[in-house]
Amino acid sequence: MDNILEVKNLHVSFDTHGGEVKAVRGVSFDLKKGETLAIVGESGSGKSVTTRALARLIPSPPGRIKEGEILLEGKDLAKLKEKQMQQIRGKDISTIFQDPMTSLNPTMKIGTQIMEGLIKHQKMSRSKAKERTIELMELVGLPNAKDRVDQYPHQFSGGQRQRVVIAIALACNPKVLIADEPTTALDVTIQAQILELMKDIQKKTDSSIIFITHDLGVVANVADRVAVMYAGKIVEIGTVDEIFYNPKHPYTWGLLGSMPTLDNEEESLVAIPGSPPDMLNPPKGDAFAPRNEFALEIDNEMEPPMFKVSDTHYAATWLLHEYAPKVEPPAVVKKRMKGFAASSDNEKGDEL
Amino acid sequence: MSQEKLLEVTNLKQHFKTGRHSVVKAVDGITFDIYQGETFGLVGESGCGKSTTGRSIIRLYDATDGDVKFKGEDVHGKKSKKDLKKFNQKMQMIFQDPYASLNPRMTVLDIIAEGLDVHGLTPNDKERKARVENLLERVGLNKEHANRYPHEFSGGQRQRIGIARALAVDPEFIIADEPISALDVSIQAQVVNLLKDLQREHGYTYLFIAHDLSMVKYISDRIGVMYFGKMVELADSDELYKHPMHPYTKSLLSAIPLPDPDYERNRIRHSYDPSQHDSSEDPEFREIRPNHWVLCTTKEFEAYKQELTEK
Repeated sequence: MDNILEVKNLHVSFDTHGGEVKAVRGVSFDLKKGETLAIVGESGSGKSVTTRALARLIPSPPGRIKEGEILLEGKDLAKLKEKQMQQIRGKDISTIFQDPMTSLNPTMKIGTQIMEGLIKHQKMSRSKAKERTIELMELVGLPNAKDRVDQYPHQFSGGQRQRVVIAIALACNPKVLIADEPTTALDVTIQAQILELMKDIQKKTDSSIIFITHDLGVVANVADRVAVMYAGKIVEIGTVDEIFYNPKHPYTWGLLGSMPTLDNEEESLVAIPGSPPDMLNPPKGDAFAPRNEFALEIDNEMEPPMFKVSDTHYAATWLLHEYAPKVEPPAVVKKRMKGFAASSDNEKGDEL
Repeated sequence: MSQEKLLEVTNLKQHFKTGRHSVVKAVDGITFDIYQGETFGLVGESGCGKSTTGRSIIRLYDATDGDVKFKGEDVHGKKSKKDLKKFNQKMQMIFQDPYASLNPRMTVLDIIAEGLDVHGLTPNDKERKARVENLLERVGLNKEHANRYPHEFSGGQRQRIGIARALAVDPEFIIADEPISALDVSIQAQVVNLLKDLQREHGYTYLFIAHDLSMVKYISDRIGVMYFGKMVELADSDELYKHPMHPYTKSLLSAIPLPDPDYERNRIRHSYDPSQHDSSEDPEFREIRPNHWVLCTTKEFEAYKQELTEK
């Protein structure tokens, strides 16, 4: 598979009164055609800022891309002028935002909002665009598309609005679709429908998706590969199976350990102590060290580089260094690594 | 866990007028008991009336109909100020949004001590401060935090302040309305563990309202599932997860994504179609096996029983 997008050493900073907030500090990854990469992390870990930088949606000032390249099929988006970027945004890269209640214009008809991109990027006539809009609405599973195309956002429910937002994002068959917590504001049953829809559409259109979320259950459902972010850096990246069944970074262990199983046994959740670092003054060394029970002395001095676990799996922790002591993940996490389903009473794929 | 009833809710209704002829039946006749020392989980989608139920119980709304009894005493209905105060002290609430539920112009000390002041629980300033500091330490904050303002804290810390405020007046019953949904995953576990520890030490009784079913399962002894203002199923939490009977509960459980890629690849989802129910009579809340209640008609009742014995 070819790389459609390559991000190299991306740095994004915000200049505030208190000083420079280094939100993203050297992020590199690539995205293959037709795959879904999930980015997970807590709020403030830089996952949203990273993807906004990809679409050049960082308001400047105060924000700026300090360093790095964003190569979309070889073209560096980081160096484009705003005018040129407008040709790409919505056409080659489009974004689904978190909150469907606020990402639609309440004073515009749904149809007009979906059509916008078609008319602008694909130079369609209004009538042609409307036909395509109705097709799109059917594709995302909105019933009675012909009647509803002239309705306003307030006439749709939360889940339906998110479907509209997805239709807008898909209008021009983007090469890269960025979904920034698209289901966080929705109920579980609606969330399941939207995830199914996105996977379905991906199969049909062969687009690549970057999926941001903090819900590991959602990640397990949608992702081919997973990048775990902490304090503006990717601390572990690998295929979905590698991250869930063979995690190497203590932060990933912590994330897995803090999810409850549907198990019978009452065991305490392993909470990650403390809270994320202040990005105005990121700590020296490994930013996760103060919250890490497995931290080594070197963690306070030097930042760990990415260690290779397999061809697809990398993690930034000194624990993988050849001189580091052998450390096993906590028992609870080990149990989860065997698979949540295995530890719960339901068999895999069995009816719940 | 004793089997003493702390709270009895009988046929509680909460209707809101939304226009001259339209009424929203947010809660439409639900009945359940909460026992001393247990955690009762209430789950359902947004708009199903779970938060309204919590708010009606603590009298933030006046119930349209039905009874809420706390330790055998009626909560709603006319009451003297003194009675109300006594009752308010025993029942406290933790709110969902730690950003909106703390007054930004008050210090943490004043926020937590507000309840103490209202109920006249502290004779002098020195004791007032000592008590707040003690509470802060109980919820895992420092006593130095007392003189700060809410904006100086992170989401998880603010929720701890909200918990300290609820604990200040020494309540017996705490309603937690989605206390963790605004928090990050790693912080959620901290807050849930804190709530569990506090319960173990002090024997609080919780009503835990949430839409995150896996967390609810983790913290609750018994769970009630709500759908459109009605309670559709109620059972011990293990029983509910092992043998969900109502089709809505089944669909809700099958929609929870689990952090296990293999499992997710093979998941089967059930969707819920309200029209699948037997419409020959009005459904009633029936006990299909001890302590497991389902909203169903007589016909469905037999079918569910059959299904259970086959398992």
